Amino acid sequence: MASAVTGLGRWLTEPVPRGRVAAFRTLVYLFAAADLVVFSPWVRSHGAIPGELYQPLLVGRMLPLPTPTPLLVEFVFWTLLAASLAAATGRAPRALGWTVFLLYFEWMIIAMSYGKVDHDRFAYLVALAVLPTAGRARHGDATRTEAGGWALRMTQIAVVCTYFLAAWAKLRFGGLGWMTGSVLARAIIRRGTDLADVIAQVPYLLIAAQIGIIAFELLSPLIFVLRGRWRLAAVGFFYSFHLVTIATITISFAPHLLAITSFLPLERLRPVHRIQRALSSRRHGRPPTPAAVGALDQMPVVGRPAGP
Amino acid sequence: MVSAQMDTLSTRGRAARFLASGLGFALLLAGTVWGHDDDFPFGPFRMYAGSNPPNDPAPDTRVEGVDRTGAVVSLDEGGTGIRRAEIEGQQGRYAGDPALLREVAAAYTERHPSAPDLVEVRIVIRWHEVRAGRPTGKYADETVLRWRAP
Repeated sequence: MASAVTGLGRWLTEPVPRGRVAAFRTLVYLFAAADLVVFSPWVRSHGAIPGELYQPLLVGRMLPLPTPTPLLVEFVFWTLLAASLAAATGRAPRALGWTVFLLYFEWMIIAMSYGKVDHDRFAYLVALAVLPTAGRARHGDATRTEAGGWALRMTQIAVVCTYFLAAWAKLRFGGLGWMTGSVLARAIIRRGTDLADVIAQVPYLLIAAQIGIIAFELLSPLIFVLRGRWRLAAVGFFYSFHLVTIATITISFAPHLLAITSFLPLERLRPVHRIQRALSSRRHGRPPTPAAVGALDQMPVVGRPAGP
Repeated sequence: MVSAQMDTLSTRGRAARFLASGLGFALLLAGTVWGHDDDFPFGPFRMYAGSNPPNDPAPDTRVEGVDRTGAVVSLDEGGTGIRRAEIEGQQGRYAGDPALLREVAAAYTERHPSAPDLVEVRIVIRWHEVRAGRPTGKYADETVLRWRAP
């Protein structure tokens, strides 16, 4: 029993390179800015909706948060935009991280308090909540960090919970009949693409898809026992699932897609560094030395990564 | 190559993280088992979790307005800033007090100050026929709620 607890503890804080935390941090905060202007611009329009239609969620009533006004919504929009862009640089990770988390949380209360609650960003909210605790992290730094490992692990668990507990919710609200019901047909009628209309004509395909969705969601925790290539393949499957969802019923789950990157060896991306290196090698008229290439590749591409 | 250097957590830092992990997980689990949307962010992931028999007609809700020139205006998300699912989520409130639909008209006027005033707002459901989990292409419209400017 004691060894199981110790093992769980070690797993929850399995160290990752600081460079991975830095890359994840930059992605998460850049996404916050992109979400404001590209992915969820509808939130901003809630400022102009009459206050009578505001139905605050439990947390909004408890705190208690004010009824959104155009001024409040514009204030949160611009401060969140500035704070998230600043946080994406990796500077002041704690102060800027908590600022972004609090502002984004208020942004979500503004988003979800008018009669519709979305479930596409639980894992993203978890990422915002844990990143301020991950400590300083420079891009490319191979030093391993347990605080950073915990932050990434929490996000991964939240990603898997979003699937597994969604299956639970389907069984709770829809029962076993969910699998043989007409939920996908309804979704296609409401927001289906031309592709979905074609698919809907195939007898029993939608029902088979419903059974497949429940199976996938219930099996999603298995990603934690997979290693190396297999884990990357599972991440690829997660993304392909959402690709089909976007292509058929136009549900993007964008914040969740971003949270899934917590499973990837992001420290290998280093786009800015690569561009700089390419520019400098062109300037000097010779290819980069093997040592310079090696410095980029501190982690194995696949095989067993040092962290989650 | 993996660096030998490592940042380890203090005993306190580790304990605080385990406590936060356990608390968060317990809240999420409780929300899934007993909670509702109101408990955001710990409510159940119930998007598309409802079930309908394979032959139940499927509702496609829309909001329309009629302006004083008699023209029918679509009061969709682009028209009012209110998402369709938000109309459906509050449909019970509108049913209890149809005059609340004037707020939808107000949201439209806010976005289109120079457009003619709305004299009517209605919620219309297009019922699509479904057979064996597939849409048949047939439908019928039903106006479920209507508010007229006094």
